[in-house]
Amino acid sequence: MREKRISWRGMIFYIGLAALILLLLIPILWAILLSFKSNNEIVNSPLSLPQVLNFDNYQRAMDTIDFGSMYFNTLLLVIVSTFFSIAFTFMSSFAIARMSFKKRKNSENLYLFLLIGIAIPIYVLLFPIYRIDSLIGILGTRLGLILPYVAVNISFNTLLFTGFLRDLPGELEEAAIIDGCNLFKLCTRVVIPVMKPTFVTIVIFNAVYIYNEFPFASTFIQDSSLNTVSLMASMFKGQYSMDYSGIIAASLMIMLPELIFYVILQKYIIGGMTAGAVKG
Amino acid sequence: MHWLSTRRAKTVMVLPTLIIYAVFIIVPVFVAIYYSFTDYSGLGKAEFVGIQNYTRMFHDALFLIAFRNTVVVLICSAVFLLAGSFLMALLMNVSFRGNAFFKMVVFAPYVIAPIIIGIIWGYILNPNYGLVNSVLRSLGLDVLAIEWIGGTKWSPLALAIVFTWQVLGFHATIFLSGIKAIPGDIYEACSIDGANAFQRLFYVTIPMLKETFIINIVLIVTGVFKIYELVYQMTGGGPAHQSELLTSYMYFTVFSSRRYGYGMAIAVAILVLSIIGSFSYIKITTRKQRSEA
Repeated sequence: MREKRISWRGMIFYIGLAALILLLLIPILWAILLSFKSNNEIVNSPLSLPQVLNFDNYQRAMDTIDFGSMYFNTLLLVIVSTFFSIAFTFMSSFAIARMSFKKRKNSENLYLFLLIGIAIPIYVLLFPIYRIDSLIGILGTRLGLILPYVAVNISFNTLLFTGFLRDLPGELEEAAIIDGCNLFKLCTRVVIPVMKPTFVTIVIFNAVYIYNEFPFASTFIQDSSLNTVSLMASMFKGQYSMDYSGIIAASLMIMLPELIFYVILQKYIIGGMTAGAVKG
Repeated sequence: MHWLSTRRAKTVMVLPTLIIYAVFIIVPVFVAIYYSFTDYSGLGKAEFVGIQNYTRMFHDALFLIAFRNTVVVLICSAVFLLAGSFLMALLMNVSFRGNAFFKMVVFAPYVIAPIIIGIIWGYILNPNYGLVNSVLRSLGLDVLAIEWIGGTKWSPLALAIVFTWQVLGFHATIFLSGIKAIPGDIYEACSIDGANAFQRLFYVTIPMLKETFIINIVLIVTGVFKIYELVYQMTGGGPAHQSELLTSYMYFTVFSSRRYGYGMAIAVAILVLSIIGSFSYIKITTRKQRSEA
């Protein structure tokens, strides 16, 4: 048996790796460092360590930002939009991939039609949806954001769901149908349990997008009681533009829950992508 | 499956998606095209002005600057990202202790809100008290302490650097899934033939990843047309609109100066550029799925 010891090559590898990880993390680490400094220190001695470890900046951010309503607003949008966009696109993808159409071409065309959205930058849609929202009378409401959020995720979800559903073995559903399953039972009891990893990946991608979304929210929301996470970060900076350390502390506090969430779920994101959930 | 595929069942399954997709994705594109041929300014009726908004773009110095900046960001990001994310993927593919942690770190910026990324990087690239210039000055390299943001020259480069940091893990993961899809026996055969690591990389891995490279390039192109928050936070498009990208200039034209007609013409131009970039992506993906089925 070979003796286990740390080789020189291994050590150089890990030193290089540590340097690389440090380099990638510098922006975050720097922000954490700044969040403990005073405004004066940030501007006049940028490279120095904070004189005293004070939490004043966090205290100021806490006093100014209504974290409760901000998270409530954001999570409400995330949960409702993600739920409906996934429910709807699963249904349509199931029809495209598994149900028989008189002409096969019909389902193929529907599929390609639903993918067009990938090529449409959402900035093109901002003003038109603004008009449509105000025409329907939902401009500035939560519904006025939820509907576009559902729509924006349709193409991406269709690509992933359809790709997976097409590879599903037919025997599974045949057996279920012979056992007397109707369409609803077939989907909820047989197909969806098999697709759990795909669902988790899609949920995360949809939820992260909506959680971070800025252009729609900042353009459509007028009522500050509906403010989301991104809006609050930007607004804090706008209102207290000279309070550098306060801005950094507020940004970190807004970012923290998301990073914790990410660390817990990251294996589904990266694992899901490498397993071919994102084809390519 | 055929038994359950009644017309009614199919309609119920497809309709919700189709209605929302039509109302909030397809119709808005036509609304944008419609307004791009008008002089609508928010008041009164929209008058048709033909292609005037489109010809105006070519004489609008600010549009041309935004276009040039977008191209610079695109080229710089493509170079940084293709090289960087490919190397990251090669490293991710090596098995070592801490591999999962490394992947987690590389991917992390992708989930942070772009608006916060813009704020944080503003403190790193600020020409006066930012981290980069402070370090450079303390090393006596004042020549290199350029105006990363806030000046007229270097902002597109700064945007490309931040964008690269933001999406590096995403593209690396796509490369990694491409690398993992290469059958192992090809490498075995090469090793038996006496190919070394570099030969395997250049004669097997890179040629086999042609499609993955194309997909990454297309995703970078469409990704660059989504950069807005970074501009908004880091430079605000300034000074005097010198650092605008097409998206941010469009936003300014529509929502700040309320020239809806002209703004929508810029939007349509962005759409056309993005479709050219994405069309190949969809084609590649669907072809691949068919060959897998």
